[in-house]
Amino acid sequence: MKKKVLVIDDNANNLLLERDLLEVAGFEVFEAENAADGIAIARKEKPNIIIMDVRLPDMRGPDAARILRQDKKLDDIPIIFVTASVMAEGKEELKDITKSGFIGKPINTRTFVKEISQFIK
Amino acid sequence: MKDKKKNKGSLRGTKFPERKDFFQRKISEFGDLKSSLEPNKAESKSASRKLKNTVGIGTVAERMIIKQLHQEIEQRKKTDQLAQDARNYAESIINTVREPLISLDKDLRVVTVSRSFYDVFKVKPAETVGQLIYDLGNKQWNIPKLRELLETILPQKTTFDNYEVEHDFTTIGRRIMLLNARQIQRGLGKERIILLAIEDITERKEIEKGLEKAHKELNDLATELKRVARVKSEFLANMSHELRTPLNSINGFSEVLYDETFGLLNEKQKKYVNNVLISGKHLLSLINQILDMAKVESGKMKLVLSNLPMKSLLSEISLLVADMAGKKNLQLLLEIDENLPDVEADELKVKEIIYNLLSNVVKFTPEGGKIGMRARKVDSEIEIVVWDTGVGIASENMEKIFEGFFRVDTPYSRITEGTGLGLPLSKKLVELHGGKFSVESQGLNKGTLVRFTLPMMSRKAGV
Repeated sequence: MKKKVLVIDDNANNLLLERDLLEVAGFEVFEAENAADGIAIARKEKPNIIIMDVRLPDMRGPDAARILRQDKKLDDIPIIFVTASVMAEGKEELKDITKSGFIGKPINTRTFVKEISQFIK
Repeated sequence: MKDKKKNKGSLRGTKFPERKDFFQRKISEFGDLKSSLEPNKAESKSASRKLKNTVGIGTVAERMIIKQLHQEIEQRKKTDQLAQDARNYAESIINTVREPLISLDKDLRVVTVSRSFYDVFKVKPAETVGQLIYDLGNKQWNIPKLRELLETILPQKTTFDNYEVEHDFTTIGRRIMLLNARQIQRGLGKERIILLAIEDITERKEIEKGLEKAHKELNDLATELKRVARVKSEFLANMSHELRTPLNSINGFSEVLYDETFGLLNEKQKKYVNNVLISGKHLLSLINQILDMAKVESGKMKLVLSNLPMKSLLSEISLLVADMAGKKNLQLLLEIDENLPDVEADELKVKEIIYNLLSNVVKFTPEGGKIGMRARKVDSEIEIVVWDTGVGIASENMEKIFEGFFRVDTPYSRITEGTGLGLPLSKKLVELHGGKFSVESQGLNKGTLVRFTLPMMSRKAGV
């Protein structure tokens, strides 16, 4: 059975690039362009991993992550933030989220899937 | 005898002036001794001798009066001398102090004035002494607040300190003065004089005002600087974010295309998409270096210190460069000391410095040239020299190479890729480690030598 991955990003190009890389690597990819849709899909599909941008149109990524962490059925899913905010200030707000990771943009397409897979049991 | 006894006390006492005639009469009886009252040493001596000589004659009573008189004369001489000394002393003080000093009688007429008063207030002695203070300098001194002090305040209080008066003088312009007044009893009578010290604090006030203004301006400037620094750092964070987002697409998609993930490309397509990728990566390193420069400059660059085995680290990086050098047919010469010690430094930063310098020598050396790296221990530091036989630096450009975005305009540099930030950033990173960084070149086309040091034990320990 294919591993499920949810990608939440409002930038269509980023979404497309990450979908391509993940599908080539054999993942079943679900997409959302905002946090609310993403949380709904997460509840429905229970993905193995969630990849999300930090700046989302309806809320900040870490806030969406906190909502997911409060859900008993979802609090175990690793969340990887893929963000262009690579400066120290950007990383600060991700510190207190359990089972989370950080990948800076632009991503390295040759190592991206490997980096993501490390977070899946 | 009764008289004599009474006089003995009164001669030294306050009633002396009233008894003066009596004694003068007695003096006349024994010759011309009047001069002995004057403080003249020679005359006084001869008078004393005369007195002594006359002691032998006359009655016992007379002799006693003479003896008494003699003592009184001596006493008077001493008192006169003391009074004279005190007067000289007082006058010297008045004339020595820088501060204008003026003494007035009870009718507020000028008695004496210090020299500095004439200097400061530009009035002439002839039109000062004896004048009513308000009339001084053509009635310029008719100052309401001065009148208040002299006519209302002083009659009630004998002293008054630091009374500030501002007045516009026609001769010397607007002045701010600090007045200190003392009322002193003069001599034995009830007559009083007023001593008035006038300190011109106009300049001091101006300086104080200037200082206050400067202090405020400095505070405003500091606030503004903090604001600018914050705006700058926010701007850089935004710039970094906004530039990285499209770069994610540019680099990501061109990489996927170049890797032929979704199908083969022909040779030209592959070459072109690689050009896009290289340019995208160049842009990314520019952004990263600009951010690093800003971080170093704002003091936000933190070093992650660890013990670095320099010998293996240098070999490792030179392997990366050997490939680039081979493509340009450059001869790479490595002279790394066998006993090169480890250093305490930030591994990523040190690698970045050395990689920057080595890629520079490859870039700026024409085909067939020589490049090299030397490393050795010097005292408590290690010294690393990276050199080439390349384009060199003209002496007039030596300063500019650290300004950022400066690249020597030669046929080679036009075709080479570089951010122009590698050298200035490397220098800053070396200095952040407590090392020194210098560039030497004999001139254009005469090669370049970069020398830097890293302390074995970081001076920035704990950062």
